[in-house]
Amino acid sequence: MKLKDRIAIITGATSGIGEASARLFAEEGARVTVTGRDEARGRRVVDAIATAGGAAIFVRADVRLPGDCERVVAETLRASGGRLDILFNNAGVFHPHNAIDCTEEEWDATVDSSLKGAWLMAKYALPTMIAQRRGVIINQASGWGIQGGDEAVAYCAAKGGLVVMTKAMAIDHGKQGIRVNCLCPGDVETPMLASDAEARRMTYADYMKGAANRPLGRVGTPAELARAALFLASDDSSFMTGAALVVDGGGIA
Amino acid sequence: MKGLTNKRVVITGGASGIGAATVERFLEEGARVAVIDVDEVGGRALRQRHPNLAGVIRCDVSDAGAVEGAFRELDALLGGVDVAINNAGISIRHDFMDITPAEWRKVMSVDLDGVFYVAQQAARRMLAGNGGVILNMGSTSGMNGYPRYADYDAAKAGVIELTRTMALELAPTIRVIAVCPGYVWTSMQEAEYTPEMKAAVDAKIPLRRHATTGEIAALFAFLASDEAPYITGHPVIIDGGEIAGGLASR
Repeated sequence: MKLKDRIAIITGATSGIGEASARLFAEEGARVTVTGRDEARGRRVVDAIATAGGAAIFVRADVRLPGDCERVVAETLRASGGRLDILFNNAGVFHPHNAIDCTEEEWDATVDSSLKGAWLMAKYALPTMIAQRRGVIINQASGWGIQGGDEAVAYCAAKGGLVVMTKAMAIDHGKQGIRVNCLCPGDVETPMLASDAEARRMTYADYMKGAANRPLGRVGTPAELARAALFLASDDSSFMTGAALVVDGGGIA
Repeated sequence: MKGLTNKRVVITGGASGIGAATVERFLEEGARVAVIDVDEVGGRALRQRHPNLAGVIRCDVSDAGAVEGAFRELDALLGGVDVAINNAGISIRHDFMDITPAEWRKVMSVDLDGVFYVAQQAARRMLAGNGGVILNMGSTSGMNGYPRYADYDAAKAGVIELTRTMALELAPTIRVIAVCPGYVWTSMQEAEYTPEMKAAVDAKIPLRRHATTGEIAALFAFLASDEAPYITGHPVIIDGGEIAGGLASR
């Protein structure tokens, strides 16, 4: 087991890549705090982990809110006896729009959930990790945080910000034993893709055909992204920090 | 790592340093490993340390004909190739103004030409077989400038772009990825560094240390395995945060 007895927080873990990561991390021995806004889905993820013999708790939280982020860390520390090893900032939302169509509400929802939320979670998680002189932070960025994408102006801004915030945090906290990396997925078969197809008024089949148009000829699966997150969370990546691991079937090669 | 058991793996420059650590890691993972190396003495010592190696072939990767011959030997040893790790490389410390055409050619021929020769031979077999993974040794030197290593920096930048285009052309049958280490502690470094030099370099790296060869080997193992089936076409930096910031790298 690659994460035996490690304490992990995964935000946005009630579906998609977050859910797959929560299940995989638990399978690899971690005790996982599952967070998200949807309590019913969160409880289902935690129950599924328990049924598979793993350990997980659910803390309802909206990462845009500082009080919620602080509470997620506090409840995790209470359950773990004061330890915290892994923070996976996975939560995020997507709205298709260009600079003209984008509303202030959409901009704030996108940037605050991906970028501000990752900063807030790190702010509250880091003191414990630094005291342990061991900790790993993984930020869910995107291939669109490295190159631009169409009709995704707030999302690209948030994800680009995450790629560079990852490097900045790696520089600041490397000497304290903390590793900070980001994942950059391409299109992954998650509820987010289905809702994007709907928002763009495309049939799911047409949307998926377009999304598969990349060197490996298919979209990614949540399990594949979860395995990449596991690598970054585990000691197998002990010299990696400040890096962006692109997992996109060659989409932006 | 999932899916490395019984994989047929060839590692260039496997007799020492990162290559030798990678040999060890892939053997631990249950792979069948053969090594290509120009260093005959080192190759014999490696073989003694690892009697379960499929073979060590003496070959200079900068010689296209020799590489072709080495792969014919590999065919006999392994019956094909599933994973090729282009690890062999050299560097010469010299000012840009002092580089001779012969030195330039030497660095390019091993660090870039050699990667191309080995990758093409390996890819030919993978396309004819069940596909595979080609991992090329890039470097943070291929992304940032490092004074006194202009030729090496240029060769490594070439390896990164070669990797991207190979990935585009060879997908979806073959995944191609570049591994880009920063400072790694090898016997070569140990021989060159004073303790003061090492401390000065470590102080520039956010993690405050060099990588171990085993840490680079672990990244090769992950990328070659079934844990990374959706990764292709990109450089993966493993540098302790060294090039995350401009000042951190100076």
